[in-house]
Amino acid sequence: MKYLSIVILLFVMLSCNNDKNVVVVYTTVDQVFSEPILKDFEKETGITVKSVFDAEETKSTGVLNRLIAEKDNPLCDLFWSGDPVRTIVLKNKGITEAYTSVVAKDISTVFKDAEAHWTGFSARARVLIYNKELLSQYPLPKSIFDLTADTLKGKVAIANPLFGTTTFHMAALFSLLGDEKAKQFLGDLKNNNVVIASSNGDVKKRVIQGEVFCGLTDTDDAFEAIKEGANVGIVFLDQDGIGTLVMPNTVNLIQNSKHQENAKKLMDYLLSKNTEAKLAKSCAQMPLHKGVDTPTDVPSLDHIIPMDIDYQKTAQKLEEIQLYLKDWVED
Amino acid sequence: MKTNFLYKVTFVLFSVFVLLPILYTLFSVFLEESFLDNLRLINSSTFLLLFRSIAISSLIAFLSTGLGVLLAFLLYKTKLSFRKGFRLLLLIPLFVSPYILAVAWKDVLYLFFENHTFIASYKGLVLILTSIFTPLSILIIGSALSNINSQIEESALLIVSPRTVMFRIILPLIKPALISSFVLVFIFSISEFTVPSYLGVKVFTTEIFTQFSAFYNHALAVIQSALLILISIFLLFSEGKYLSEAAFLSIGTKGNQQKFHELGRFKIVALIFLLAYLFSSVLMPYFMLVFQGMNDLGKAFDLLKPTIFNSVFLALGSSVLIVLVGFIVAYFSVKASKLKKIFDWILLIVFAIPSIILGISFIKFYNQSALSFIYTSYAIIVIAYIGKFTFIASKLISNAIRQVPKSLNEQAILIGISPLKRIRKILIPIIAPSLFVAFVISFIFSFSELSLTMMLYPPGTEIMPIKVFTIMANAPQSLVSAMSLIVFSITLLLIVIFHLVYQKIKNTNV
Repeated sequence: MKYLSIVILLFVMLSCNNDKNVVVVYTTVDQVFSEPILKDFEKETGITVKSVFDAEETKSTGVLNRLIAEKDNPLCDLFWSGDPVRTIVLKNKGITEAYTSVVAKDISTVFKDAEAHWTGFSARARVLIYNKELLSQYPLPKSIFDLTADTLKGKVAIANPLFGTTTFHMAALFSLLGDEKAKQFLGDLKNNNVVIASSNGDVKKRVIQGEVFCGLTDTDDAFEAIKEGANVGIVFLDQDGIGTLVMPNTVNLIQNSKHQENAKKLMDYLLSKNTEAKLAKSCAQMPLHKGVDTPTDVPSLDHIIPMDIDYQKTAQKLEEIQLYLKDWVED
Repeated sequence: MKTNFLYKVTFVLFSVFVLLPILYTLFSVFLEESFLDNLRLINSSTFLLLFRSIAISSLIAFLSTGLGVLLAFLLYKTKLSFRKGFRLLLLIPLFVSPYILAVAWKDVLYLFFENHTFIASYKGLVLILTSIFTPLSILIIGSALSNINSQIEESALLIVSPRTVMFRIILPLIKPALISSFVLVFIFSISEFTVPSYLGVKVFTTEIFTQFSAFYNHALAVIQSALLILISIFLLFSEGKYLSEAAFLSIGTKGNQQKFHELGRFKIVALIFLLAYLFSSVLMPYFMLVFQGMNDLGKAFDLLKPTIFNSVFLALGSSVLIVLVGFIVAYFSVKASKLKKIFDWILLIVFAIPSIILGISFIKFYNQSALSFIYTSYAIIVIAYIGKFTFIASKLISNAIRQVPKSLNEQAILIGISPLKRIRKILIPIIAPSLFVAFVISFIFSFSELSLTMMLYPPGTEIMPIKVFTIMANAPQSLVSAMSLIVFSITLLLIVIFHLVYQKIKNTNV
């Protein structure tokens, strides 16, 4: 019993760390990009940031499932997501808290929740990454529908559409084209022996290795490949048609969290031009504020025709098509 | 009486800290309004997938155990040159996360086939998981082979051929280890989801993961996991039946020499086989990591440096507790009647639960104001590791205890030695090699555990496997490989240190 008492005492001592000057943030944004920004916030404000990052191995859903499981007694104050889907899932489950940040007032309402449960910043886009050498003998796809051409049979890769940004891409196509046309497109893609990779990173790898000619991925993966010196190129698809899917990062407060004031400060910090400039530099993300300094190779949203979608409705569409997508993958 | 008290206290603590959260989650799911709707989703295709996964896991367990017998015999029962070096090298796959190895394997096989068709298939899955789990079989079987009393083999060799000795004496004597190896590898394979998910191969755990991560249907995922638990219970029941029929073994007590066999003209063949196995299943993927990662070692070390102390301390503390609980359970389960082996069953059930479900159970139970002192500290991870890995330690230790001649204990009782003293002075010194193996395996698993740790690690803390995998997304392959190499090197270094400490303690006590 003596030893048991010591163990309990140790636990109690550990629990006595009631530091008020902290903020707990859960993020699905890759640690290599998010951690430096959170560290800068710590330095500038003196508020300690306690973070939980997500891993590719769990398809970046570990954090989200943790948030859902912690719903009744949230440990997290702020959720920083790499795309709007996960945030909308949380909103639908009643886990988010509304907050309007004045810092984001010049960000377009397209990238904000109508009820202020989340706000978007720094966006990525879905692009075609292609192997320059292998695709040199064929016409370069300009539209997502070109991926069903005979010349690309078995030579196109997409990540498993049940997870991550590919799910959202599919949902966007369904909400934009309608179920019938979208199913026709996915059927054609399947008939063209599309390669289903485990993740966007895997798509990138297969294109670099030359197993496939091209594949759909996110801009950060594609730019990373170029930074690594791979012989690949990028195409923003459907610039003469339905447009390219643009996915902002999103940030939201967690309902009933313990450090709301600090969370608001961090949310304002993340939504600032300064953070967008840093993300543009580190992972080629496109700022949503006007007049942000960006490296020359980072595309501007002013020059890209985006898909005309409503993020909330697209997230709802996603829930409707999940079973279809599961069958499509497993068929 | 004191020993019984210890068992009861351990049982109560384990039930409260580990079992209660799981029961709490199970009952929450059963009481949910959607329970019946979710139950209806379990249909023939669910069972078909389950049977497919059972078949694949059985094949992996069979191949790993078969290879384990062959390799363990060569490494533990022959006078083959460099066998100690081979023993260490063949353990390498245990030191690296299965996910990282799958990535390395995929790259290696791409070099040969120039596409991923072979590797992204059931054949590829069997190949990779067999290569990952065979070292576990080697350890379990090797430990049993080392404990065979040399007199038994020598006497038999005077009468029958070496082949007969192998098939009629050695294999029957190590039957508990063979069954344990099969059971452990089977459960590891059937509950593994990172490798099949990475390869894009559909098995039962990827289905659970899909329900969990794509549909956010925790209840259905828990119900599906319950099927896995039933399979494991069936397995333990069968194992118990076979073990009760197995001959009790005689252990080589202190001072006894092990019997090492001469391979004669087969020596060269054996060496070539070992080298070929080592190269194809261990060194190729490892070289791929070295090749990809050597330029980024400095950067990778800087990233991992803040995590080293935490991770080692956490794994070390957890493994000591795991071996302690494992020993207490093993000691009593060997002596107990079938009905009283409830602790064994609980350990197995917890072990068989997929890590994600275990993690969710712990969050739901511990994330309450009254228990947040556990949930927000490393204590939650230590408890989770004890829950997850004590089954393995307990299996290894109970096998060793079974091999101790009962006569030793009976003689000690006759001369009036107390139960605690009998354990301390007789049992522990005899089974020390198995305790050490249990400690090393527990350490390796605790040090590299990812899925459970990812669900539970306290915000703001840094743990090595978490760091590797959170950095992995979008980091260059070279950096990921370099980090894997560093984790591997630290594990190897620590195991060498543990071994030296163990040898020193052993020599001091001789």
